[in-house]
Amino acid sequence: MKRNFKAHWVAPTLREFKRRKVIEEDRSGGPKIFHRSTFLEWNYDAEIFAFSNRLGEKFDDSSLRAALTHKSYIEREKARLSDIGLDSNLHFQDNEALSQKGGEMMSKFINGYLRAVFTQVPEELISAMHDFLTSNSTLETVAKHIGLGDLMLCADFPCKTETYVKSFKAIIAALAESSGEERARIFVQDLVVTQLYGQDVNELWNPVDPVGNLAAILKREGKAEPEFRLIRQAGSNSILAVYYVGVYSDKHFISEGAGESLEIAKEMAAREALKKFFHTEDSMRALPFGRQLKNIQSKIEQLENQPNLPFSEWISEKVMSAVH
Amino acid sequence: MSNSHLFLPSGFLRTPLQNGLGRYIPQLQRITLKFCKNHGGSRGVRDFIESDLMEFAKTNHGTVVYLKPRRHRSPCMVAEYLNGEREYLSCHEFSRDEVHKWLSYMCTRSGIPVMRFRKYQHTDYPTVQGVWNPFTHQAPEINVAEFPHGVLSKPIDHGQTATEQLIEIFKKTQIEDPVNKPSN
Repeated sequence: MKRNFKAHWVAPTLREFKRRKVIEEDRSGGPKIFHRSTFLEWNYDAEIFAFSNRLGEKFDDSSLRAALTHKSYIEREKARLSDIGLDSNLHFQDNEALSQKGGEMMSKFINGYLRAVFTQVPEELISAMHDFLTSNSTLETVAKHIGLGDLMLCADFPCKTETYVKSFKAIIAALAESSGEERARIFVQDLVVTQLYGQDVNELWNPVDPVGNLAAILKREGKAEPEFRLIRQAGSNSILAVYYVGVYSDKHFISEGAGESLEIAKEMAAREALKKFFHTEDSMRALPFGRQLKNIQSKIEQLENQPNLPFSEWISEKVMSAVH
Repeated sequence: MSNSHLFLPSGFLRTPLQNGLGRYIPQLQRITLKFCKNHGGSRGVRDFIESDLMEFAKTNHGTVVYLKPRRHRSPCMVAEYLNGEREYLSCHEFSRDEVHKWLSYMCTRSGIPVMRFRKYQHTDYPTVQGVWNPFTHQAPEINVAEFPHGVLSKPIDHGQTATEQLIEIFKKTQIEDPVNKPSN
């Protein structure tokens, strides 16, 4: 007999099973999913041990378990026990306080990194990058890929975004409690800040009136006002017209920008000029991560509480030179 | 020589959550070894568990190892990764070394499915100096030039033609005219 021989009734039977399964799933709104802890092979203590080793961090057992316990789980357990009739004085601690503290620490660490790496950048762009990094979607992705999905104790399944984010922030606070703020800072830098890799920072924030703002900056610096000149043009009578406009200050070239019409090209040129001042052009230096941050950790710590210059006061003499 | 006949999906190199950029996180979350305590097909797995499993668990302390003895079933291992993927491998009649080899193979993978790599490198920043466009390196004089132009219509690095080279060689080899020589 051939290796893949199956009796004549096997295929039709499986086809019928599948047909019924599809109908059942459509009726109940999706395939049945089970939490990993419902499997026979599950050891929560071992999972927690492996979690801390996987990240290379040492956690206090009580802090870690508290960080993973959601309020809804405690309420559900209390309700269940009181339904049975047992005394419900559980000694669980939830992660509300830890999550709050962890969220603040994470913001602080992220801001410190951004200000130390993007020294020439106005505070508005720093906040835009910070908001991107601390957004729910980013943090949920990070939390899921560390393995928090199976470890969290919560009443909702599949877990909501807010639960993931809360647990992740609580983990950061638990780490700071267990191993110190230094390690928590490195943890945030390694896991959250690396999500900035591959992102175009200029898509996160754009100044509203680049031409006016450029003129204001040059005036503040005492330089001549910006002069926009047409450098190149092609196909001006067609749909695929392109105009290159250059920005000059006192006959010195600053930047050029291209666009489909003269106004667009002028705005792009002003944007390029601002990018050049802030050192966020497409050709900017690569962001440092991991071991490359060893030398600037003290600088990061120093800048955690020192915001950059706001856009309305930006002037190149006041910003520090690049550190890395 | 095309790859369209292959059912193996193809893609570019990627890693979950920028792994390695900050710190390296081993992607194997847990591994379940299912085996029979009696049957001969599980002998290799049983030998591995008796001798090499503890060392494996100590070195990969970020991975949870579950052992599931199941009677009258052939052995297998199921690996679960941090991105939710599962890998099943039948270990029927494997030797102890084969089990060890396949287990360490599972450790080195991320959960991204096996695929044919289209390229062995990847970058998110393909250009630093900017992509070439027809205006790159063009002299600004073309904006106000009338074509055909004396300089801009000609090729940039013309080089000497063969005739001009021969004339130059001839001039070098010429004996100097004594009439033109200054008297000394």
